Amino acid sequence: MTDKTTSGAGWSRRRVLTTAASGVALAAASGFPMPAVAQARKLTYWGGLIFSEDANNLLVEAINAWGAANGVETEVVMINQNETTQKVSAAVASNTMPDALDVGLDLMLLLARQNQFILLDDVYNKVGDAHGGWYDGPARATDTTSEVGGRVGVPFGVNGNLLLRRRDLLEPAGFTEAPKTWAELAEQAAAVNAPPVYGLGLALSNVGDANVQVNVMQSYGGRIADDEGKKILLDSAETREWLTWLKGAWDKGLFPPGVTTWDGAGDNQAYLSGQAAFIANTGSVGIAARNDDPELFEGSAFSPLPAGPKGTISPITPQSRVITTGSQMQDEAKALVEHLSNPEFMNAYFNVAIYGPVLKNQEQLQAFDGSNSILVGLLGLAQNGTAPAYPDVYNAAYADFSSNFTVPKLAQRVVVDGWDFDRAIAEAVEQGQAIYNKY
Amino acid sequence: MADLNAHAGERQNRAAAMRLNLFAYALVIPVTLLIIGLVGYPFFFAIWVSFTDQVIGNVGKFIGFTNFAYLAGTSTFWAAIQNTVVIVVVTDILKLGIGLGLALLVHQHFPARGIFRSILLLPWAMPAFVAFLTWRVMYQPIGGRINLILTQTGLYPHVVDWLGQRHTAMGSVIVASVWRGFPFWFIPILVQLYSVPEEFYDAARADGANPWQRFRGVTLPGIKQVIIVPTLLSSIWTANAFEHVWLLTQGGPSDATMVFPVLAYFGMQTQRIGEAAAVSVYMLPALGILVIFATALMMRDDEQ
Amino acid sequence: MSTQALGTVEEQDRRSQALARRKLIIGRVLTYATLTVAVLLVAFPIYWMIITSLKLPREIYRVPSLWPKVFTLDNYEKLLADGGFLLALRNSFIVATVVTIVSVVISSFAAYSMVRFRYRFRGFIGRIILFAYLTPASLLFIPISIVMAQLRLGNSLVGLILVYLTFSLPLSTWLLQGYFRGIPRELEEQGLIDGHSRLGALVRIVLPLSAPGLAAVAIFTFTGAWNELLFALVLITSESQRTAPLALNYLITSDVLPWGPLMAGAVISSVPLMILYFIAQRFMVAGMTAGSVKG
Repeated sequence: MTDKTTSGAGWSRRRVLTTAASGVALAAASGFPMPAVAQARKLTYWGGLIFSEDANNLLVEAINAWGAANGVETEVVMINQNETTQKVSAAVASNTMPDALDVGLDLMLLLARQNQFILLDDVYNKVGDAHGGWYDGPARATDTTSEVGGRVGVPFGVNGNLLLRRRDLLEPAGFTEAPKTWAELAEQAAAVNAPPVYGLGLALSNVGDANVQVNVMQSYGGRIADDEGKKILLDSAETREWLTWLKGAWDKGLFPPGVTTWDGAGDNQAYLSGQAAFIANTGSVGIAARNDDPELFEGSAFSPLPAGPKGTISPITPQSRVITTGSQMQDEAKALVEHLSNPEFMNAYFNVAIYGPVLKNQEQLQAFDGSNSILVGLLGLAQNGTAPAYPDVYNAAYADFSSNFTVPKLAQRVVVDGWDFDRAIAEAVEQGQAIYNKY
Repeated sequence: MADLNAHAGERQNRAAAMRLNLFAYALVIPVTLLIIGLVGYPFFFAIWVSFTDQVIGNVGKFIGFTNFAYLAGTSTFWAAIQNTVVIVVVTDILKLGIGLGLALLVHQHFPARGIFRSILLLPWAMPAFVAFLTWRVMYQPIGGRINLILTQTGLYPHVVDWLGQRHTAMGSVIVASVWRGFPFWFIPILVQLYSVPEEFYDAARADGANPWQRFRGVTLPGIKQVIIVPTLLSSIWTANAFEHVWLLTQGGPSDATMVFPVLAYFGMQTQRIGEAAAVSVYMLPALGILVIFATALMMRDDEQ
Repeated sequence: MSTQALGTVEEQDRRSQALARRKLIIGRVLTYATLTVAVLLVAFPIYWMIITSLKLPREIYRVPSLWPKVFTLDNYEKLLADGGFLLALRNSFIVATVVTIVSVVISSFAAYSMVRFRYRFRGFIGRIILFAYLTPASLLFIPISIVMAQLRLGNSLVGLILVYLTFSLPLSTWLLQGYFRGIPRELEEQGLIDGHSRLGALVRIVLPLSAPGLAAVAIFTFTGAWNELLFALVLITSESQRTAPLALNYLITSDVLPWGPLMAGAVISSVPLMILYFIAQRFMVAGMTAGSVKG
């Protein structure tokens, strides 16, 4: 792949190595002593493969450089995030888990409950103290203390959905500001809706993107379950408000054809082909546009998700580093995890990835100085985003409920099969309660 | 004297028969061992796990039929039964028809038939996920090839959402699946056609048989024998196949194309392997019967 | 009857010949026409794949068309540049070849045994090996990865070969059974009388006559092993051990699909298969060698 020099990040091998060296100093100073004897064992690290080739390479080089500087043999394997669950399942079942890995929130909580990770409160606190403290959002979301007696993950970035819009289509129509509410969104979408361009590129299929509809519903005041996380509360007036909004937009033809079976790439493809004026995206489309279609990128803008009558629900998902209980090199892994939070590396990484910051001091990093619209949006997300599942309880039942795409199914029943709200909600309540009863 | 000789003869016969038997067994041992060793454990593991509440990485408790009851209580499950049967039966019939038809066509003598034959194997020359991703893009409502051709040639000026509508979703999945799978029928049938000596056809022609009678008398009997294996295996594989539905529609819209393997996948996503296994175990009886029946059919002809 | 109404015998002949020829031509035209249509339908998605691999990313998304506006070999260059993909192709080649050869040998033995001999567990064994297919791969991969880990064959091509063998053998065995049944016993009897051992009869007489069946089995096995993704994904961790489908799959890193390189990779990866098909289909039509049936 062609090398793309990153603007302003100015990372180079030399800098990474110096960082590694200072990592050693830091480690020594902070009391994680490197074992005096050179290790013959290998530290395996599974990194999360993301869209940016540069970011992936950065991570690999940083880890290897640290290993070289500290006399630890390292092996970094990049795992495709689309298949992380399968790979991790197989590894857990066959006892071949790596020493440390990157995980998203879902998997981290799932495996934490199965005691697959060691407690990392010490590393977490050290890193927090060294960098101005953690943001509330990631801090609360990754708090596994109540479930396993301590924290298992050290967050390194947050991602979440931003609203991506076609500025170049909306401004001529008179909309210079991003929509603040879902109702406004529908209004703006309707204004530019002219097939083959459609306004609302929001997925309604059995795919993660479609769970944005849960957030829409929650911003109308709807709830999945009660505060104990046990009883389904889908049957409510607020849910019907949301469905009214949805059905209204659907009947006006604001959704591109195909949303009911889009895969994870569906909304991105729609946007990149110029078929959708609004999509909810984590920033990957922005990067793709910036690389391959600058014209489209110029005509786009990011903004936070719109609010509903009861507020904004804009979940941020932290990505964390964890260390497995089966690891033979826990001390070294802890040192590595701590090292990877250093500002030099993170700045370089943020510049080429699509994550928002997790530590308050990271606000001052050059990456978030405002020159990169995607990162600015992510910064806003980190500061103002809501915890995943908020206002619902993020327990195992909720995760199962989401994995079964119960709410997107509900939406499909309404718009595809034409069921009335009561019937569709009744089915969703039944399915949902059956899932919740399993736990 | 004669008696002794007779006994010796008998003993020799028995010894020879035993050697023959051993030889026969020796030939099948590698296959059997490999299969039992590598698949036996997973197979019984899957059955066992379906009766537990196991989450991956932990030990599961025996919970009897709870997983099965839970699954049977969801409307998705019943949709899956119907759709799986429909997909298997319809794709089998279509693949048989297309495979047979194409084989008959290609069987004739004409120049460049080698190229035709090779081109017809193309749907196989790529991994399944590439094939179905390609079909997904082709089915795209706007800019997808199929709609492009329909609108540009004026055959049908409106945009059709092939995958997103209930009444076209299943058909679209079936078309893509048949496209991908027909070589599996095409090849055995073609080989069978070529193994019928030309003399049989000549004899039939000399007897005054017309093409249809020739087909029924000479071609068809051989084909009946040879399509049992593709039918059996194609049915099992289609029933167990995941990508053709997942990559095109993820089981939607609204469960219109939900099939058992996709249902099992949802279970796996939350690491609840007990649930996922229960889905597969539901399918086992039907598939098992299919296997027993088809193999009986194949082996019965041996007795003649 | 009066010959005038029917014409002379020669005229009758000529007319019937002309009729026959017309039927032949019509038949030919129909055959060609149908075949062309079939080939077009079959090859159309392939055509789309090829032209997509020759387009720039922006054009792929923004300008859906049946012919590239700008041809580019960028996608191919990107893919082949880092060498990883070529390595993956090599790995696939090794795995598929070994699986095919071993599979053909073992399944020939097994099929021969199940067709020519009678013994107690014949039916049982035949059925058991088919049970390999009853559980879907999306469930099977967990226990198999456990087994592989215990055999220390995780993350190795050998492990993959073993797994692929397990799934190709039942198919090969049953397919070959069908073809072996079609070979008259007399030929082997003849061979035995001529002094061959049973094994020799198998190798020297049955196998050559089943060349078409063997070609078909080779096609199925090689294709299956070459294109398999799920087990490769789960068992292989290092980049150096990746197979071609895995390398292709790794091009998809998130929710934006790199169509250009992906299609380019798919095209490249299908070339060895096409070569195999072309070679194998020659054997498929070898048929029974003339003369062997006529005593």
